Amino acid sequence: MPSPIRILTAVPICDGHDSAINTINLEFIRHGIEVVYLGYHRSVTDIVRAAIQEDVRAVGISSYNGGHIEFFSEVTGLLQKRGASDIKVFGGGGGTITQQDAAAMKRKGVDNIFFAGTSLAEMTDYVRTQYGKPRNKRPRPRSPEQELAHKLSEIEDAYASVSRKRPTASAQRSRSNKTVRHSSVAIRHSSRAERARVMGFTGPGGAGKTTLIDELVLRFLNQNSRGRIAILSHDPSVVGEGALLGDRATMINSQNDRVFMRSMATRGQAGGLSPATQDCLALLARSGFDYVIIETVGTGQEAMPFQKNGVVDQTVLVMNPDYGSRLQLQKIVMLDLADIVVVNKSDLQRARTAHTEIEQRLEQNGRDQRLIDTVAKRHRDAGVDQLFKLISTGR
Amino acid sequence: MTGTVGGIMSKLGQVVEAIEKYNKFVLDQVKRARSDEQFGRELLGRWNDTKAKIPITRTPTGVPLPRLALPEIDEPGEIARYLFGEGLPGEFPFLNGAYREMYLEPIREVESFEKNGETVAARMAPVKSSNARPPLPQAEEPTRLFSGLMLAEDTNERFHYLTQHQRTHRLSTAFDGPTLYGIDSDADGVFGKIGEGGVAIDTVEDMMRLYDGFDLGSPNFSASMTISGPAPIIMAMYIAAAKRRFGPKVVPKLRGTVQADIFKEVQAQNETIFPIEASLRFLTDMVEFTTREMRRWYPISISGYHIGEAGSTPVQQAAYTLSNGFAYAEMFAARGIPVDQFGPRLSFFLDCGLDAEYIALARVSRRIWAIGMRDVFGAGPRAQLFKLHTQTSGRSLIAAEFKNNLTRTAAELVLAYMNATNSCHSNSADEPFTTPSEEWIRLAAHGQAILLEESGIFKHTMNMLSGSPGMKAVERAVEAAILDEFREIARLGGVLAAVEDRYQRSQIQSAAHRYEQQIYNGTRPIIGLNRYRDDEDDAPEVKLVRTPRQKQQLQVDRLAKFKKKNAEKAKRALDRLADVVERGANCFTVLLEAAEVCSLGQITGRLQEVVGRFRPMV
Ligand code: B12
Repeated sequence: MPSPIRILTAVPICDGHDSAINTINLEFIRHGIEVVYLGYHRSVTDIVRAAIQEDVRAVGISSYNGGHIEFFSEVTGLLQKRGASDIKVFGGGGGTITQQDAAAMKRKGVDNIFFAGTSLAEMTDYVRTQYGKPRNKRPRPRSPEQELAHKLSEIEDAYASVSRKRPTASAQRSRSNKTVRHSSVAIRHSSRAERARVMGFTGPGGAGKTTLIDELVLRFLNQNSRGRIAILSHDPSVVGEGALLGDRATMINSQNDRVFMRSMATRGQAGGLSPATQDCLALLARSGFDYVIIETVGTGQEAMPFQKNGVVDQTVLVMNPDYGSRLQLQKIVMLDLADIVVVNKSDLQRARTAHTEIEQRLEQNGRDQRLIDTVAKRHRDAGVDQLFKLISTGR
Repeated sequence: MTGTVGGIMSKLGQVVEAIEKYNKFVLDQVKRARSDEQFGRELLGRWNDTKAKIPITRTPTGVPLPRLALPEIDEPGEIARYLFGEGLPGEFPFLNGAYREMYLEPIREVESFEKNGETVAARMAPVKSSNARPPLPQAEEPTRLFSGLMLAEDTNERFHYLTQHQRTHRLSTAFDGPTLYGIDSDADGVFGKIGEGGVAIDTVEDMMRLYDGFDLGSPNFSASMTISGPAPIIMAMYIAAAKRRFGPKVVPKLRGTVQADIFKEVQAQNETIFPIEASLRFLTDMVEFTTREMRRWYPISISGYHIGEAGSTPVQQAAYTLSNGFAYAEMFAARGIPVDQFGPRLSFFLDCGLDAEYIALARVSRRIWAIGMRDVFGAGPRAQLFKLHTQTSGRSLIAAEFKNNLTRTAAELVLAYMNATNSCHSNSADEPFTTPSEEWIRLAAHGQAILLEESGIFKHTMNMLSGSPGMKAVERAVEAAILDEFREIARLGGVLAAVEDRYQRSQIQSAAHRYEQQIYNGTRPIIGLNRYRDDEDDAPEVKLVRTPRQKQQLQVDRLAKFKKKNAEKAKRALDRLADVVERGANCFTVLLEAAEVCSLGQITGRLQEVVGRFRPMV
């Protein structure tokens, strides 16, 4: 059984008509498709970069504010230029795209345009039949980035086939013990590259992990003019169902050629990560990045997503000041394990109390854990600066 | 600043209480009118008095009609329910209308007054009617059509076309994508979007071309600018352009509105360009300036239209719009602007579709707003008014058999005017395809004229279609549902907190998904699409309005020239701007200076360096 179909969807630059694509995303997900959603007001470069890194089967674009012939053609053109013409392009824009326009767009390499009045079922059927077959031979990667993206897909695919054949407890175990075989993942530049520093970010949903990571990325890019960073982000999904992988849409600083980002669905695995995470992470760590950041899905109190002595060098627990009572705090396992604890949204009223309570809790542990308050949504937040300094210099 | 914004916007709970209290007050008055004889007599007296003062006019066919229709009640309890619960048009709580006469045609000959059932001779001198021109329904036509296309001069031409037969010139401006996102026409990857779906504006010079030939300071002129993310910058350019053309004295005379509604951008329209709190700060800076220096300007148009069009239910639309409005009121008050100064300068913009809720959505909204403003914010009568612009629903207009869209729009117009909207935009039938072409825009405008001027539905009698049992049933259901939404938002910590939580967004998205599912599973009939479909109907022949490449290039060239000419001055102006923003002072006056010499994109870029960029929400 192959992996779920992965596609990327987006709305073009200077266009905020996202109602259609939001509905279509929901519809795709209901039908077992994994959708990496890039959001609205997105440039051709951002879309193509994301499509290649995420190694999706196709890109679905929803365009309303005109200029669609140019925009779609630029996407197909750039994909081709980057050696990624096996990533297909389709889309729609209600009545703004005429039959004639669609014909012109198809000549430029667009697969299909869905006109106003197309039923939702027709679109999902199309995606499942057109993009659901396993890929035959893939073209040779044109860049290290593309090669990396292909390898990550191989890893994910290998796990997908295992989980379908043996959906048993032993399969669960074997997955987490990394016994699945996939083709060698060593990639060309890995020998000369040093192993990256791997940072694990976890914490409850709504604590602001994604925003915090994106702010750290900004600081990293500003500080290291040649530095490269990889992000492995996770969103929840159930076996056999789709997922909305939406982190990219909110990450404004990470849309950058020096950032390699990959979104993964957990595909039924509990604990905040995907069955394929460990292997993907191992590969990323050897792929020439300075940092690899891994972000779990929003986790519960008992979660301890990162293995002891695993690839992760340092773990960060991002908390929301509104965790409830002190009693709740006692139950959070990651508070014992994390190297750094961040209280984000520290502009909220409860933040002071939260800081004190967590501080006391960390003192009990008697380890050298650090506690930092941030307001990640604030531009140039001093707390995030402090966190960045701690991560990059250890102080 | 951050402190004020973060700590407020939680008065919604009080608004809910105020409405509940007011409803109880109405019931108490009803009871009292029935038990307290003297009070009952007083009410009856007032009622008869009111009725006696209503002029009667004759329709062209000779039927006498009162200029205000009232329910046939003579029992004090019911009279109390009407007077306190609904209010006469123009009276608190304004359910029937913000003003007394709305679209009634001016009185030509008053037939008589009705008094206690008997007719007495008219006391009013007949107004002379001229034979040259049929009388128009009111001093200002409520028709206001949204338009913007290609470059400033093209839109200017369209404006002149649209207003050629109007005495009052009320222009409504649509901007193109790059302008809406605060970027310049020469930015990376936007070339094909220049002048599409709206007009391209980069500089004060474009702004001058846009309204060329119109007398900006005249009482008969007003400009509406539909833009929110970069609203303060565009507003500054408008003022700068007006000053260049008419001198500095024109500023206090300027009339019009700029949309500037940040909350609904984050919730539905997706054109926020600065982080929410910074956006709100720039907005408040502008409002502080205009309430002081431009008393006739409406510095914000609190809009539900985009929420509705993004696919919300009508109740969600009204609830989010009203709660956004209350949050702004709280914010402006916190800045120290007196409620009776900013209150009358707030206006609203709602969508009107075909769902049953629209029979009374705006009526209920007007009432909730008035009670909330009076009882929670202590607003005086002028600051209690929910002044409303309505647009018929664009989303209800579809491509299949698109000429049916004329009927849809007509039905929506009836609903909008039944709700006593103050002004209205009617969509063109070619809405699904393109910026409307002149052929269809003309029909859309005439649709309104037919309804208001030709038909007798709205010109003879206020309340002509108000107050039916069905309408009352909708009012009760809609009000209860809006209050439920308020409670939920209050529970989440108020509007700002709910917005940051994606509450409104996710509610709107699920409603939109449901709506589309209903269309395609046939439970929501759409004629010509899932019912009575004519399979012959293939691509309709509509004239597409698209911007030619040469024009797009012209805009880029003009911008380059402007930038070159002003390079030195722009740098200094931007530095000053950044400095004031950094210090946290009101930045609108420095923005005015910057607008003289900088392009939109230059200003946006510099401001983003200081306050950051908006982080989009899924
Ligand atoms: C809803 C809407 C809005 C909402 C958007 C809310 C939101 N968050 O999405 C609001 C009110 C905010 C809005 C604003 C504007 N809008 Co508007 N809007 C529309 C409207 C009414 C409906 C579009 C829609 O979502 N339909 C519902 C979807 C589900 O159905 P559909 O469009 O028929 O699409 C079908 C297929 O094509 C397919 N499909 C669509 N996309 C995709 C993608 C993929 C991958 C697939 C597989 C299929 C697919 O799925 C659908 C189901 O069959 C259209 C007019 C119309 N009636 O179509 C104008 C329209 C698109 N808007 C227009 C304009 C100009 C604007 C503004 C620029 C106006 C302005 N100057 O301020 C702004 C810009 C907003 C922005 N941020 O970019 C113009 C565009 C004109 C042009 N291109 O020449 C239109 C055509 C109206 C008009 N005639 O002027 N708008």
